[in-house]
Amino acid sequence: MRNLGITVLSLLLTTVVIGNAYYQKKQFYPSVVYITKSNPSMAVIYIQAFILVILSGKLMRKIFFGELRAVELEHLMERSWYAVTETCLAFTVFRDDFSPKFVALFTLLLFLKSFHWLADERVDFMERSPVISWLFHVRIISLLFMLGILDITFVLHAYQSTLNKGASVQLVFGFEYAILLTIILNIVIKYAFHVHDFHEMPWENKAVFLLYTELVMGFIKVILYFSFVFIMVRIYTLPLFAFRPMYYTVRAFKKAINDVIMSRRAIRNMNTLYPDATPEELAAADNVCIICREEMQSASKKLPCNHIFHTSCLRSWFQRQQTCPTCRLNILRTPGSTQATPAPPQRARPDPPQQQPPPRPDFQWGVPNPPPPMNNANIDQPMNDRGIQSPGPIPNVGHPPMPGAENLHPFFCSPFPIAMPFNVPPPIPPTETLSDEELARMERQTREGVEARVRCLQNIQALLDASVMMMQHYCAAAAASQRHMYPPGIHEINPTANASAPHAAPNSSSAPDTAASSSSVNPGPSGISSGSKIDVSDEPPQHGQTPVNLSFLNEGPSTSSTDVNGGTSVSPETLDGPSSEQTVDKVATDPCSSEASESPADSEAVRKRRLQKFSKDFNPGD
Amino acid sequence: MAGSALRRLMAEYRQLTLNPPEGILAGPVNEENFFEWEALITGPEGTCFEGGVFPTKLTFPPDYPLSPPKMQFTCEMFHPNIYADGRVCISILHAPGDDPMGYESSAERWSPVQSVEKILLSVVSMLAEPNDESGANVDAAKMWREDRKEFETIAERIVRKTLNIPENL
Repeated sequence: MRNLGITVLSLLLTTVVIGNAYYQKKQFYPSVVYITKSNPSMAVIYIQAFILVILSGKLMRKIFFGELRAVELEHLMERSWYAVTETCLAFTVFRDDFSPKFVALFTLLLFLKSFHWLADERVDFMERSPVISWLFHVRIISLLFMLGILDITFVLHAYQSTLNKGASVQLVFGFEYAILLTIILNIVIKYAFHVHDFHEMPWENKAVFLLYTELVMGFIKVILYFSFVFIMVRIYTLPLFAFRPMYYTVRAFKKAINDVIMSRRAIRNMNTLYPDATPEELAAADNVCIICREEMQSASKKLPCNHIFHTSCLRSWFQRQQTCPTCRLNILRTPGSTQATPAPPQRARPDPPQQQPPPRPDFQWGVPNPPPPMNNANIDQPMNDRGIQSPGPIPNVGHPPMPGAENLHPFFCSPFPIAMPFNVPPPIPPTETLSDEELARMERQTREGVEARVRCLQNIQALLDASVMMMQHYCAAAAASQRHMYPPGIHEINPTANASAPHAAPNSSSAPDTAASSSSVNPGPSGISSGSKIDVSDEPPQHGQTPVNLSFLNEGPSTSSTDVNGGTSVSPETLDGPSSEQTVDKVATDPCSSEASESPADSEAVRKRRLQKFSKDFNPGD
Repeated sequence: MAGSALRRLMAEYRQLTLNPPEGILAGPVNEENFFEWEALITGPEGTCFEGGVFPTKLTFPPDYPLSPPKMQFTCEMFHPNIYADGRVCISILHAPGDDPMGYESSAERWSPVQSVEKILLSVVSMLAEPNDESGANVDAAKMWREDRKEFETIAERIVRKTLNIPENL
């Protein structure tokens, strides 16, 4: 309504101005001169021209687009504002040849630009519209044809003008129309793709083709912009007005490159790593691709987690994210190349850990069985009881320190922490798309699995503590024996060699030492609480002569209760400096050991040195 | 036929009309444009939003199942997870990667497995149990935590408003 009012008003004003001029001058030519000489009259004429341009724009829009959608209008307004400000910036560069003709040319450029944008939106909309009428095709084709012709004409005109008259503002126009020409080309290609897609029902490679079109067009535009800026800088000045579109073009080009790379990677991954789903598998699942909600007849892929999708759907998803859409399994990390992700497969595995908590996971992970070597040590009885190795060697328990010490070294330094990830079994993922109950069950299983693992780790920690303790047994024994045999030296570094030393050491002397060091062992273990309870019952018969051990084991749970969380991170701390340092202090102040040694100061120094060595030797191994 | 986004939206629309979930009504604003939907959500029973019928607007991106739609309540709302302008802030409407509140794990983000139905159901449960950790509407979150009575009064007023019941009845 308001628009109509303005139009009518402007029309009236124009008539009045022209009528007045003609009334005063009575002839055509003098009246024209009169109007051009009078500023107010010219203003009216300009306004009228502007309104005419807008009106003709509306007419063309009606012809080629019909009603604009709200989104289209919104985008059009947004882009127009940018274009107008950029045009104003361009005026500043060419202020010398500022003239009505110049303004008119820029208006025309803006005008054509807006039609390019609209055509682009329309063609994009084809993909989203349920019905495409013949009218639509006719309109789009004729519009594209017309715009293309216009662009080419203007480019040629600018080219001729630059050749004949040297660089002028035509340079800008030529360049702008060249950019518009690439847009037209892009639209035409897209249109062709869409039309092709219409006729050939599922054209799976369309997305890829579009990607490459985008890439090529982006490349052409980037080159155009850079050459334009280069030429402008050489001839005039920095073309500020071209920077915003240039920035966007470069960004779009970068995105196109990125998309193409991601897409290629996804395709390569799919082709090499994932098998095509077989018809049986399709039948077993519910045969609907969860991404597009359509039946999967052909060209579908199975991910390592057993979820099946259309190849094309999967590809477009992988371009954004490298996870399974259903379970979010990271597909880049799971495939057989490396087993860097032990977590998902274990989570998915229906573990039966509840029945046989500690040893079971141990067994499955294929940890280079620590129990056998530890077999004779007093702490690991629960492990053996669960059947990894029968408690055959029990008769040996009489002298715990010796065989234990023998195997201690391999156990500590063996790739125990390292070995775990490598021995993880291949992923056993969920077998079908999951309902809620299944998810809940899986969650429960996962939880149980984690609990079992924590328990297992706690047991391992207990084992480690035990071995530390045995080391100390051995230290004590060595200390005791070396008093008689030779001065302290290198021999303790190599436990296997040392195995002979403890033989000489009387058991009785090692026992008090253990008691002395017990408090240093205990801060670590949390898992010992479960293990040690069994030990307590096992202990007395085996160690009749060392009742002190019993006291240590009883003491264990109470002192260690603070460390429960440490269960998952296991070993190193228990072997580290603090514990051995503590041991040093304890041993030093211990009345039993000082009584056993000849000169307390001497033995203290010896032990200190030795324990430092221990901590040094074992830390790198961890 | 048309693009995959459109086909998927049509499939979802068919599904929603054949088996409408309880308390939810959803469909395109008009059949010409499947990328703008309207949905009516009834307030979950036993909550302060009970009985209300809340109109919402869903806007789907051109690459729909790969990117999440946007959702906005078109009536007045007062809720910790709804912005003052009606936009809904729940994790499944956020594409993995963007995290406006910085608290969501990627496991609860958008993926093509989600659907309009799931979104609407999560919004219903969001109405029932606001998450005051991520305050899209900080005032509402604060009130929900500290002055539940007042919150319920406001909610009730909004419910009445959606049902066109005058305030003082």
